[in-house]
Amino acid sequence: MRRPPLAVVFVGLLVIALGETAGAVISELRAQIVRYAQARVAANPQAHGLAGSAEYDAEITARAVYSAEAGLSFFHTHAQGLGPLVILVSTVAASAVPWRRARGALYALLALGAFFPLGYLAYSVAVLEWGRETGIETVERYVLAPLGSAAIVGLVALAVLVAIGRRRGWAA
Amino acid sequence: MTGPGSEVWRLPPLASLLAAIVLIACAEVGGASMAKFKLELTRWARSVILARPVTHGLVGVRDVDEQVIDEALVKFDAGLRLFHLHAEGMGLVIIATTMTAATLVRAAAARRALIALLTVGGAGYPFGYLLWSALIPYHGIQAGKTVAEWVVWIPFGGATIAAVWWLTALLGARLIRRA
Repeated sequence: MRRPPLAVVFVGLLVIALGETAGAVISELRAQIVRYAQARVAANPQAHGLAGSAEYDAEITARAVYSAEAGLSFFHTHAQGLGPLVILVSTVAASAVPWRRARGALYALLALGAFFPLGYLAYSVAVLEWGRETGIETVERYVLAPLGSAAIVGLVALAVLVAIGRRRGWAA
Repeated sequence: MTGPGSEVWRLPPLASLLAAIVLIACAEVGGASMAKFKLELTRWARSVILARPVTHGLVGVRDVDEQVIDEALVKFDAGLRLFHLHAEGMGLVIIATTMTAATLVRAAAARRALIALLTVGGAGYPFGYLLWSALIPYHGIQAGKTVAEWVVWIPFGGATIAAVWWLTALLGARLIRRA
C-alpha cells in the first residue's frame, strides 16, 4: 500500500495524541475540571440565565457542566477514532486513486476532517462561556458541521473515485 | 519494499499486528458477552456486593443500600462498556501508529522502542477497565479504580501517550526540516 503525504500522517497522529492525552486528563483531573466549569458558569451569569435562586441556578450549572464534560468525552472518543481513520483512509486514497489532483483534494478534505474532534473541545469551552444553547448551536454550525462535512465529502469522494478508477482498470 | 521513509507503508512486526487483532477480537467478544450475559453478570456482581457489606458501606436499610448497590452496578457495567470501546479503538490505534513508526522512523533503536511502547501500552491499557469492573464488587468503586489506575492505566496508558507524542514530535521535526 502506498503511503499518504507526511503532513496527512502527522495530522492523524497529532489527533490521536491529543485524544489520548484528553482521556488521561478527563480521568485524572475530573474534580478540577468540574470546579473550573462551575466557576466559569458562575462568571457568566447572563449567558447561562442564572436567576439568583440557589436551587434553579444549581440545576442550570449542573446541566452546563454536564454538557462541557460530555464535550471533552466526545473529543477523546472521536479523536481516537478519527485519527487512525484518516491515516487508513488516506492510505486507500494514495493506493487506489490514480489522479494526482484528485488525491490532493482528498488529502486536504481528510486532513481537515481529522480536526473534527477539536470541535468538541470548542463545544466544551463555548458551553461554559456563551451558555449551553448558544454555545452548542454556534459550535455545531461553525465548527462541527464544516469539519464533519469535510470528512464526509472526502469519504464519499474517495468511494466514487475508487469506483471510477476500478471501472477504468487502474490498479495501485 | 524499500527502507524507512519510503513512499510505501512498511508492515509493523507481526507481534504488533497480532496484538492489535487479538485486542479487537477481545473487544468484540466483550461486547457480545456484555449483551448476552448482562443479567448473569449483574446477578453475580450483586451477590458479591451483598456478601461484602462493610466494603460497600451497606447499612442494612433497604432504601439506602439499594442506592449504593445501584451505583456500584452502574460503574461495573460502565467498566465493561469502556473495555469494549477502548479495546476496539486501541486495536486500530496500534495498527496505525506502529505502521507509521515502522515506515517513518529512521533510527532503528527509536523505531523498536516506539513499536514496543505502542504495542504493549495500547494492548494493555483497555484491560484496566476489565480489571476495574472485576474489582468493583470485591473492593468498591474507588478502591477498584485506584488499583486499576496504578496497575494498568498509568503504566500502559502512560506508555502509549508518551510513545504517540514522541512519534508525533519526530514526524513534526521531519516536516519542519522538509519545509
